[in-house]
Amino acid sequence: MKRRYMQLDVFAGHPGDGNPLAVVLDAEGLDDTTMQAIARWTRLPETTFVFPATSPDASYGLRIFSPRREVPFAGHPSVGTAHAVLEAGIAPPRNGLLVQQGIAGLLPLRVEGDGATRTIAVRTPTARVMEVASAGDPRLQDALRGLPLGLLPPALMDGGRRWWLVELANESSLRAASPDWNAISRLAHDTDSMGVCVFARSDDPVYYLAVRAWVGAPAHFEDAASGAANATLAAWLASRDALPGDTGFYRVSQGREVGHDAIIELLVDDDGEVWSGGRACTVVHGDIDW
Amino acid sequence: MSLQRSARRYLQLDVFAERPGGGNPLGVVFDAVGLDTVSMQAFAAWTNLSETIFLLPPTTDAADYRVRIFTPRQELPFAGHPSVGAAWAAVEGGLVSAREGALVQECAAGLLPVRVDGGAGDMRVHVRAPRAREITKAALLHEAALRTALAKLPPGRQPPALWNNGPAWWVVELADGAAVRAMQPDLAAIAALTQASSAVGLAVYGRTDASDHQLVVRAYCPADNIPEDPVTGSVNACIAAQLAQAGTLPGRDGRYVASQGRELGRDGKVHVRVDADGEVWIGGQVQCVIDGRVDWPAQPGSVR
Repeated sequence: MKRRYMQLDVFAGHPGDGNPLAVVLDAEGLDDTTMQAIARWTRLPETTFVFPATSPDASYGLRIFSPRREVPFAGHPSVGTAHAVLEAGIAPPRNGLLVQQGIAGLLPLRVEGDGATRTIAVRTPTARVMEVASAGDPRLQDALRGLPLGLLPPALMDGGRRWWLVELANESSLRAASPDWNAISRLAHDTDSMGVCVFARSDDPVYYLAVRAWVGAPAHFEDAASGAANATLAAWLASRDALPGDTGFYRVSQGREVGHDAIIELLVDDDGEVWSGGRACTVVHGDIDW
Repeated sequence: MSLQRSARRYLQLDVFAERPGGGNPLGVVFDAVGLDTVSMQAFAAWTNLSETIFLLPPTTDAADYRVRIFTPRQELPFAGHPSVGAAWAAVEGGLVSAREGALVQECAAGLLPVRVDGGAGDMRVHVRAPRAREITKAALLHEAALRTALAKLPPGRQPPALWNNGPAWWVVELADGAAVRAMQPDLAAIAALTQASSAVGLAVYGRTDASDHQLVVRAYCPADNIPEDPVTGSVNACIAAQLAQAGTLPGRDGRYVASQGRELGRDGKVHVRVDADGEVWIGGQVQCVIDGRVDWPAQPGSVR
């Protein structure tokens, strides 16, 4: 059976700059095993599957799979799936909002503008501070060796997936850093986390923060653009009253060190909710026959 | 859905597969005239597939079509499963039609003969593999490392040997197909052996009397960070060359089917043929999984 299929670049205004995503529309009838097999076969960081919503409050249902397992929530798949749903005309926004129904529950997405400059942001699940570490914490020593630390102490945040968030003193050190994959993997394993997300403040006119996200074993992977990790970072900064800018809105640059050039938009609203989003572009569209 | 005028036809195939997911994926971009090398490489990196190919008009009358083959990191002069997929796509996409089952593919390594058998729905494509040669004395030179890499494995009739048909592969027959399926590879020992001998990897094979294949194959490239490769054209061509030289080809009339990839959740079937001239042909079925259009800029992005 043929289903509509799209391959997108998310958090990008230009194909190749962002984080790739595969979207299978019309996914009714696909079982878990088949979805996992497709997600392994696409070889992309995530593949999503779009179903009719079962809740009257939702615009559509979705399931998110990495090549290895199902993921309860992830940022770039949520933003990209909303883009695909709009492009395919599956569900229109109501009052500028779409509502996705996933394993993490109902989450609203804000749609602004249209065409090539349209941006979509997802309200991310509330992130919690699990632990604030000291700069000299022995568990972090190896993974952070040689990196000049910034003002905030390292923190372990849980926003569905857990990340260590570590401020570096300046953007140039962040861009020049080479991750010690073995140390990051040990830290991720010992603290039940994805790995380390480092950030630094920037003077760039477009973005206020530069971010790099290093995923431990078995992936040993630097993420091109991390919607959810950036949302936990925004929550961490908000909790310390350390958000960049003065409106609650700021942009992040991520992915240059791995051949991409993503821009992620973060908004911490008046209720303290964190929205993570940006642009997306359609690279492949057609049918999948599996 | 908005369709931009620059969009080209795009297929994502599963090669050496009798069902989707069984084989080795391949991205195929049609009408690639106008895409420069940097753009092709950027798209091949973006798909993250083991190979992405670009179809172009031939530059010589002797060829029917031209293909450029890219991994996420580099362009390749030739590769087996991309060539099988290229020929399949060129025929299915209506770019070319075979004359009495024959086509000529132009790639960076030169002109390559292709055979097309069967019709729509059951088309099988074979490409002629570059001629393989045995690196004699390699087994003697690397005897200790070989013994370590193959410890406790039940040997087959052919002694282990190093063969080269572009890449170099250690080719090792085991007692039977069951021994191949049960193998627990010592990846560290295999990496040490292949690095010492400048081989891309080590392949094992064993005979079987299964209903739909005569050989079971597995291939390991731990030194290249690929613990086990799912379905490998060049490996199967090296194994066929060794068996042909020994006069012990399985199957009949120089034709047999090899099963590879089950231990990785795949189910690849490689159709091998050794012709009267001793040339090895590698082929199989192709599944078209994704059929659509790709919109990729002819100029690379701002940073790359």
